[in-house]
Amino acid sequence: MSSSPSAGHVAAPAVSAEGLVFAYAEGGPRALDGLTLAVPAGSRFALLGPNGAGKSTLLSMVNGLRTPEAGALRLFGAGPDVAARRQVGVVFQESCLDPAMTVRETLVMQGRLFGLRGDRLSTPIAAVLATMGLEDRADQPSGQLSGGLKRRLELARAMLHEPRLLLLDEPTVGLDPDSRRRLWDHLIEINRQGTTLLIATNDVAEADHFATDVAFIKHGVVVAQGTPEELKRGLKRDAVWMAAPDLPAEAIAAIAALPGVGAVSGPFPEEPHLHVMVDDAMGFVPALFHTAGQYVRGIRIERSTLEDAYFEKAGSRLVREPVAER
Amino acid sequence: MSGALLAWGALLRRDLREFSRSRSQLGSSLLLPLMLLAILGTGVSSGLDPQKVRDSDYTSYLAPGLIAMTALFSSTFAGASFYQDRDSGILKVLLTSPHSQRSIMFGKALGSVAIGSIQATIVLLLAIALPTIDLQWQYGVAQGVLLAVGAVLLMNVMLAGIAQAFASRIATMHGFHLLMNLVLFPLLFFSGAFFPLVDLPWWLRLLGAVNPVTYPVDLLHLAIYAESGSGYYGLAIDLPVLAVLAVLMFALGVRSGAFRRNLR
Repeated sequence: MSSSPSAGHVAAPAVSAEGLVFAYAEGGPRALDGLTLAVPAGSRFALLGPNGAGKSTLLSMVNGLRTPEAGALRLFGAGPDVAARRQVGVVFQESCLDPAMTVRETLVMQGRLFGLRGDRLSTPIAAVLATMGLEDRADQPSGQLSGGLKRRLELARAMLHEPRLLLLDEPTVGLDPDSRRRLWDHLIEINRQGTTLLIATNDVAEADHFATDVAFIKHGVVVAQGTPEELKRGLKRDAVWMAAPDLPAEAIAAIAALPGVGAVSGPFPEEPHLHVMVDDAMGFVPALFHTAGQYVRGIRIERSTLEDAYFEKAGSRLVREPVAER
Repeated sequence: MSGALLAWGALLRRDLREFSRSRSQLGSSLLLPLMLLAILGTGVSSGLDPQKVRDSDYTSYLAPGLIAMTALFSSTFAGASFYQDRDSGILKVLLTSPHSQRSIMFGKALGSVAIGSIQATIVLLLAIALPTIDLQWQYGVAQGVLLAVGAVLLMNVMLAGIAQAFASRIATMHGFHLLMNLVLFPLLFFSGAFFPLVDLPWWLRLLGAVNPVTYPVDLLHLAIYAESGSGYYGLAIDLPVLAVLAVLMFALGVRSGAFRRNLR
């Protein structure tokens, strides 16, 4: 269903997961419940799902921190053994820096962990410092850097050994808009040079704008996968969220029959709001109030996004934004 | 003021609740003083007769024990860096590098060994330099220094393994420090570091014999302090026992993987 971007395809996917199962506690709820996924080499692949969906757990298996209880995982067609980690760079969700180490010391240690020394170490350090705009911070302890600079240092560290696959767990959380944009500029450039990006996020806009492929994850399984365009195909232009707790089935049917209305979803057990895709919300809302105005407690109108596609496929929202009720 | 009282009460309740839930803290706070009473009290009463140390020179007797004590505390508490690495996320960075978990744990234990050995060797050099400490060097100075440095190194290898094995299994640094104190003080007190074991009651001599720290302390005494082997286990026992313990404990520490469940 999905296609690779600029870097081109190779035979084996960067990540191939089949039926992965994992629970953090024996007998406890499964963080991954038979997850199956293929990440094309060269793609910018976003794992989109709410907190607790299993995104970070999947990344922790790809980077070797955890081992699946069942299922098969392969990186570029090979088992995820210790040697395979040479091909992987990791940026964790939370900052993972020793605050007492300078920027350069952080990079030197990482390089040595990956077997680099001499010119093979100093050259890439100079390169990533320049790419990430950290040259004038090289001798500053990482604990003194701003959140955006720390993120850039972590990206520089992850890129130092030129991995084929870069894992990013919520890479832009806590960054200001300017830092986010610059980080994405770096990531797109890295991807253009051939590195596959596997990104765990619950930021719909970022996945929509920057990812070439997206997988919707819920309760430890993939509920849909494709390019953002494929996943949004069939969506109407506008999304209307309605708080209408007492809406009877016949009123839902009447709403669905209004002109310009597409998919009508909900309410679901996890999501009490009704979600209606429409061609034009400005024309739909008066008709809605004429048809079922007495049940409507609140309403929110948005341009349709991947969030709406996620809602249609998964039956729940990524981020719970309230619908103001009257 | 009532608002402040409310806040103080809430803080007090929180700390007391955590204390009551921490079995290691509760246990060590009771066990340690009891052990000190039983072991140190008996040891000082029965063993610390100045006539039982050479020339009644207790300061010189104490020097090897203090070298061992320095190694004991510095190498084990260097093991606490495990928690800093875990909490800062560095441990995850290390574990996602192309090295096995054992290899990473080995590298971390080396740091503890190095720190403990450097600090203990500095105390050894100070003991040699201080004119008030009378060292006998029964095997010669060069051989004695070699033996002492060897004892310090092996002891630190053993202790780094023990500390890492504990750190891997204990979730919090607080709990680690408490448990290490609980373990380290008794190890030190019935090792012969502070008083000779030879004339102690049988049960304290038995505890000394099963104490892993006894053998490096014995070795240090023989290397730098003692005039002869009389009253000591001897090199033929100290060296192999210490070497075997060092290898076993270090392997135990390097193989420890229980910490993975506490990774965030």
